[in-house]
Amino acid sequence: MKREYSERERYLLWLGFVLGPGSKRYFRALTAFENDAHAMFAAAQKHDLPPECGLKEPILEKLFASATQRYIDGCFKRLAELDVSAAAFESPEYPALLKEIYDPPPILYYRGRLQAEPALPIAVVGSRAPTEYGRRMAHTLSQALAECGACVVSGLAYGVDCIAALGALEAEDNPYPTVAVLGSGVDVVYPAANRDIYEQIIARGAVVSEFLPGTKALPSNFPMRNRIISGLSRGVLVVEAAAKSGTLITVDCALEQGRDVFALPGRITDPKSEGTNVLLREGHAKFTLSAEDVLEEYGGWRAVKAQTLSEPENLSLEQAVIRRLLLANERSFDELCELTGFSVPLLNSTLTEMEFSGIIRQSPGRVYSIECVL
Amino acid sequence: MLSKIKSYGLMGIDGFSVSVEVYVSGGLPAYDTVGLPDAAVRESKERVRAAIRNSGFEFPMQRITVNLAPADLRKEGSVYDLPVAIGLLDATGQIRNKTFAEEYLFLGELALDGTVRGVAGILPMVIGAYGQGVRKVIVPLENAAEASYIEGVQVYAAESLKHVVDFLNGEAALMPTPARKWDRARIAYPMDFADIKGQQGAKRAAEIAVAGGHNLLLVGTPGSGKTMLARSIPSILPELTFEEALEITKVHSIAGTLQGTEGMVSERPFRAPHHSASTASLIGGGQRAMPGEISLAHYGVLFLDEFPEFRKDTLEALRQPMEDGSVTIARAATRSTYPADFMLVAAMNPCPCGNYGSRISPCRCTQQQIARYLNRISGPMLDRVDLHVEMSEVGFEDIASRSAGERSETVRARVNAARRVQALRYKREGILFNAQLTSRMTARFCALDAQAEALLRKAFASLRLSARAYTRILKVSRTIADLEGSEAIRSHHVAEAVQYRSLESKYWGDTRR
Repeated sequence: MKREYSERERYLLWLGFVLGPGSKRYFRALTAFENDAHAMFAAAQKHDLPPECGLKEPILEKLFASATQRYIDGCFKRLAELDVSAAAFESPEYPALLKEIYDPPPILYYRGRLQAEPALPIAVVGSRAPTEYGRRMAHTLSQALAECGACVVSGLAYGVDCIAALGALEAEDNPYPTVAVLGSGVDVVYPAANRDIYEQIIARGAVVSEFLPGTKALPSNFPMRNRIISGLSRGVLVVEAAAKSGTLITVDCALEQGRDVFALPGRITDPKSEGTNVLLREGHAKFTLSAEDVLEEYGGWRAVKAQTLSEPENLSLEQAVIRRLLLANERSFDELCELTGFSVPLLNSTLTEMEFSGIIRQSPGRVYSIECVL
Repeated sequence: MLSKIKSYGLMGIDGFSVSVEVYVSGGLPAYDTVGLPDAAVRESKERVRAAIRNSGFEFPMQRITVNLAPADLRKEGSVYDLPVAIGLLDATGQIRNKTFAEEYLFLGELALDGTVRGVAGILPMVIGAYGQGVRKVIVPLENAAEASYIEGVQVYAAESLKHVVDFLNGEAALMPTPARKWDRARIAYPMDFADIKGQQGAKRAAEIAVAGGHNLLLVGTPGSGKTMLARSIPSILPELTFEEALEITKVHSIAGTLQGTEGMVSERPFRAPHHSASTASLIGGGQRAMPGEISLAHYGVLFLDEFPEFRKDTLEALRQPMEDGSVTIARAATRSTYPADFMLVAAMNPCPCGNYGSRISPCRCTQQQIARYLNRISGPMLDRVDLHVEMSEVGFEDIASRSAGERSETVRARVNAARRVQALRYKREGILFNAQLTSRMTARFCALDAQAEALLRKAFASLRLSARAYTRILKVSRTIADLEGSEAIRSHHVAEAVQYRSLESKYWGDTRR
């Protein structure tokens, strides 16, 4: 998709190309020229930038050197080659919600389609190494949100990030299910294992980043990325977070930006849920049990599917016994064997049938639990 | 002045007749050994000289030529000491019996004082010689036990060179070792199934694996009892037949691992090489192309603990022997084929820290660490293992409360019955159990009814199974039906078999979900 840039965008982007990521310096310099980037460009050509810009060597030197039409054309050509588009703060597709935050990125690079006002953007964040419970919840809730028409914003890292994106992509009727915010250039897929999800997101949503294309995924980039994740969203749903985790940085950003925070409760003994449980205790986050709990905060949004845990029909005696046991607690195969007293062949075949009927599910460690639909 | 003595040589587990020719002629004293001898054969000259002198005989101060025919096959080891010494004494007229060389075959190493020492590989040599028409063999006393199981061969146990010569001259008595009937000793297994508390699911998987000769993969957290279960598997293996025992003994005779047995292996081998094992030690090899662990586990269990810790190329090298049931080791001078029909039992942790899926101590590994760990087991390797089973985690309070379950004897009785059914069914196919079914035979013997077929189709959709998993599930279903005594494979058999395949998509499938 080749994007045409207006004259005004051309110089706004030029300044962004040269200065790189970061909000403060860009807007201070621009204010000195009363938001007229073209005027600044002309001044740079004459090597005459006033001290009010707040720019010093060596960045001044770099501005002077790049203040040529050839440089700008070269940048646009490179972007087109990479199939990357850029949106300046004033561009029509620049997300409206992001403009509200204290330090919005001056330029967003993106692949796919960037929408200024997507339908109900909700960020889904959490641990990079979630528990089985966290995985399931991230997937189910993201899918449920996207099926109701929301746009799931996530970070495309390991764990909850990419599971949330995968869940949202399952909502086939949603025309704009998900946006991913990267801590690297938009053309750099990190981690590389997520390449296929990355491609799917580009096809149906957008991948965005404030970093110049080609930027590596440096650890220091991620806190900056987190403020965009919350900035793009109306609410942030925390699936699992340990105490002092990176996820909580996103939550801090969301609270500073005045976004809603939602958190799933976890067991109090589970270190992976410590962060979310504390958020709930302190009253920073809304106690969330289903996608419905998120949606009801925003008028006009309703869950398509209500949470169901009704009694399935036509259960055999064995199936009913197993279901009753699993409703109380998840159980390993061995425990089921002891508790039911069924023979191993009988238990094996019954469990297989129940799994295929979608009544129960098996997780690593051969632990069985009730499949729940949110 | 020429003497010809019969002896025998080995190549793999089969061998060839060796004629030891000794020629003593006039001329300056010299001693030459020809006929592709290896270093041990060439050194025999020193042992033979000392043994002859120390036994009170005369060593000729003449030109001696020893030829080991056929001259184009490589001769290895010290087994020709005795035949060479006898040949020398015969050629110099120190043995008065003129007809013995036709009757007897000689095998054995000599000590410097004339004592006859044991050598490796006596059993396959005696079996081979019997096939060539030899009926009387003189073997070292140490090896007489293993040789005496061969019906129709008179085995004479040689203690010393002097004793043998006196016997040939009719001056001393040497009775043939009484032929022994192989009797399946009551084996006291160190581990019994009843010793394992809980783990009913894994025990059942082991029973199915043994009944159908399937390979088994155990996955579980540390301390869940993977090793214990594997070590108790020999106690439920079907009983050995004499033919099987003979073949196992042949391999172990060559490897020289028969010590401590009654000459004949009476229980199925259980081999558990350490994960640092080299490819040569596992597959077989070395300068003399000796059998490796997989051949020593022939008709028994090869247990590979910490499966992913084995070197990747070593594991990949297992694939071909697993398909063929034998392994051929080629060296510049020799090609040896050894049988390697074993049941593979592999055990592994689910992740590097071992706690993935644990509810007691949470796993600390990242997704990519887990993926990297699991990827050390290649798809084709995984495919050759029919049953995958996860051990349930055992907490401290569980150990005392869990019931013990059946004794090995009970399980073994069911296994034996299932094996008999299979042997009968496959009488014309030349195979013994379900795991050996080819894809064509699978189509014929593992037909499913409509209900079972529908279930299997469902399993494929929801577990995202590979096409190769299809025949594996069929074979395991066949075994489950056989254990139940059912000729038809019903849907509940398939339902159970699917459980032993669900691990693949859970761990090796999309690890992100």
